[in-house]
Amino acid sequence: MKLVHRCAVAVSVLALACTAVAAQPAAPARPAPSEAAAVADAASAPVSFSARKVYEQARTQLVQIRTVLKGRGSQTSVGSGFFVSAEGHIVTNFHVVSQAALKPDYHDLVYVTADGREAPLQILQLDVLHDLALLKAADAAGRSFDVLPFRPEARPLSQGERIYSLGNPLDVGFAVAEGTYNGVVRRGFYPQIFFGGALSAGMSGGPALDQEGRVVGINVARRVDGEQVSFLVPAAYAVKLLAGGRAAAPLTTAAYDVLTTQLMAHQNALADRFIEQGWKTATHPRYRVPVPPDVFMRCWGSSEPSRTGGLDVERSDCAMDTRIFAGDFSIGTIALRHESYDGSRLGALRFAARYSQSFRNERFVRLAAEYQTKPQCHEDFVDRAGLPLRAVICMRAYKKLPQLYDLTVLVATLDQSQAGVQGRLDAEGFSFENAQRLSRHYIEAYGWAKQ
Amino acid sequence: MGEAVGLPGDRPDDADGAAVAPHPRSFDSERNAESHHEPAAQRATRRRATRALLEVIDRDGHVRQVWTVQGWPARIGRALDNDVVLTDPHVAPHHFTLTQDEQGGLALEVGDTVNGVSIGPHRIAAGARSLLPRDAASVDLVAGRSRLRLRLADAPVAAEMPLAGIAVQDSRILPSLAIGLVLLGGIAFNSYLDSDPDTFSRLAGYALLAALSATAIWCGAWALLSKTITRQSHFSWHLRVFMVAGLTLLALSAIPGLLAFSLSWPWLTDFSFIATYAVGATALYFHLLAVEPARPKLLRWVVAIGAVVGIALTLWFNVQRTSRVGEELYMSHLFPPKLRLAQPLATDRFIAELAPLRALLDKKAKEAPSAEEIGASKDEDDDE
Repeated sequence: MKLVHRCAVAVSVLALACTAVAAQPAAPARPAPSEAAAVADAASAPVSFSARKVYEQARTQLVQIRTVLKGRGSQTSVGSGFFVSAEGHIVTNFHVVSQAALKPDYHDLVYVTADGREAPLQILQLDVLHDLALLKAADAAGRSFDVLPFRPEARPLSQGERIYSLGNPLDVGFAVAEGTYNGVVRRGFYPQIFFGGALSAGMSGGPALDQEGRVVGINVARRVDGEQVSFLVPAAYAVKLLAGGRAAAPLTTAAYDVLTTQLMAHQNALADRFIEQGWKTATHPRYRVPVPPDVFMRCWGSSEPSRTGGLDVERSDCAMDTRIFAGDFSIGTIALRHESYDGSRLGALRFAARYSQSFRNERFVRLAAEYQTKPQCHEDFVDRAGLPLRAVICMRAYKKLPQLYDLTVLVATLDQSQAGVQGRLDAEGFSFENAQRLSRHYIEAYGWAKQ
Repeated sequence: MGEAVGLPGDRPDDADGAAVAPHPRSFDSERNAESHHEPAAQRATRRRATRALLEVIDRDGHVRQVWTVQGWPARIGRALDNDVVLTDPHVAPHHFTLTQDEQGGLALEVGDTVNGVSIGPHRIAAGARSLLPRDAASVDLVAGRSRLRLRLADAPVAAEMPLAGIAVQDSRILPSLAIGLVLLGGIAFNSYLDSDPDTFSRLAGYALLAALSATAIWCGAWALLSKTITRQSHFSWHLRVFMVAGLTLLALSAIPGLLAFSLSWPWLTDFSFIATYAVGATALYFHLLAVEPARPKLLRWVVAIGAVVGIALTLWFNVQRTSRVGEELYMSHLFPPKLRLAQPLATDRFIAELAPLRALLDKKAKEAPSAEEIGASKDEDDDE
């Protein structure tokens, strides 16, 4: 039971990386209750001749990767992987090996082949942003391994082509899941392949193969609120990781410095792109209110007229699908929200009370105290070309990721006595300089609408 | 040596020994009524013969029994042959004797007792003798568990206390009614602020009902306590204290927020809990005054120390919970635009002023989390 539970947690964490496709925005994805049934269906689905051929060809290159408690022998999580070099290099997901990478004092890694052979593993390099890890069999000396070839980048797949995802779902046994290639996911910050097939926990890190048995992607995540909506990391990133890390020395200490370096690069790229893309126009009849274009973010709107003659609210929520898995939490994302209030039926004092209540009703603690400091805030009235705002900037520092911070900016317009707009920007895992840039960019986006 | 008389009333003097008469509480009026019919000479003789008054004091400070001492020596104890017979089981059969020495001074001789006698803070053991002070208005004695007060005939009499000086006076109705109406108005206004037009009447009804019930329960409980200890309920006093405190707290819930918004002084609402503690402590003091009116100084100290400890603990918990001493993470009180006096900043300056947060956050990031922080985080995680 524990194993299944651990697997389920792994999938739900992954699924967080790609929420907000569904009609309910930003709801934390949880394992679907019918997950076990879905897995059973996938495992018992009729396997076509091609799937059988692909599996037969890949069987010896496929491995299960287990994270084991040091000195206890119990596994804490399981995933899949595959050999990419005759010298024993294996590619899998970062999230499959994150416990061993970040807490090496407590965890060991082993791989298990389809015929049951078990041997230890070393971590050579991580690509946290694309959720990949390059490992090497510790018993590689004097051995030669069968290798899965990569499909050349020059020969892209067509939408609808059949592809086959391999792995060891829920530690039940090696399996092949047939599905279709549906192109690259829209609005992702990093490219991911949309795989129209069923992935289950434990298949993470396994290869997705074309009909010739060449790797097109690496299983990484699935949506728990949809059917057969799964995601693969494009093979090109694994090729790059292998090329760069083939001769790397194994990691021996906790990989927080690697994680921090890559997250630093990510937040720089994200802040630059976010600021460059500008804002949508005509987002409010009276004000300029920051709403980002639908490039790598997705916005959902809703309208809530009061049924008791009170405050009418219109809401807009924008979030990124992409989140970077960083061990015990995810990071590296931006979200925005604003609410437009109309209290003309309330009167000035009543509206002020309700407007204050809404401004107060904000959540600031995201992670446990062992990962993050408590928030510290800076606040004042800010002038935007005659439009007075109350602005609050709150920041939290990461304890194991030095010089990375979470930023929250709250803004409330203060020019009307019975109406106003309140907005919130959240940016997780940014440098202090970028937090300042993003704050400025966000606050300066408020102003009077052009008449 | 005279004999003790167990019934109220006068007793002929016994020139050779003590003559002591106990009186129920109403003795003054009876005696005074009788004395009006006494011939003046006889009354003067009797007055001269009253050497002292020995009062038995109850635990609440009221006089339970009064004995008139008409001659020396006077023997006090539990045995029936004493001049003053006490029923306290912690008093010895012949506990102590008051005697007059040759110089006219009064001495206390302790008899065969385990518990001894205390004169003020001094304890006198069995068999010992102690001179009593002559110039004091009264001498406080403790024999066993009985508190006694000895008033000597030639001791100075304390001046009359004016009625206006009584700490706890039952309030007059009209001012209390006015305060009550203002308070109810305030509660109704709060309901107005918190409700939508369609839900106002229901919410105001609930709020007023809750306020009236809370007032009745709170003031009733205090009145019961007062009645138990002082034999007077002082309900109107407690009601007034509660209403004034309620009105002050109502004002405190709005005024700091308004000033904090108007002047952009976030610290005002960050620390407004200190004023709330002060109001609570003051209200507690006035409630307690109607329970223990004899010790206002002690009560002042108790509530002041209570308030200081409460404030210190809240500050400490705030630091543990949020790494900040104040209560509010940021000022969230927004009022109509016309009430804002503080000038808004330019964006550049506002962003530049963010810089000091960096050193603070980096310092906090290097600290290990406290047990309270971990506990609080877990609670928050559980809520999700």
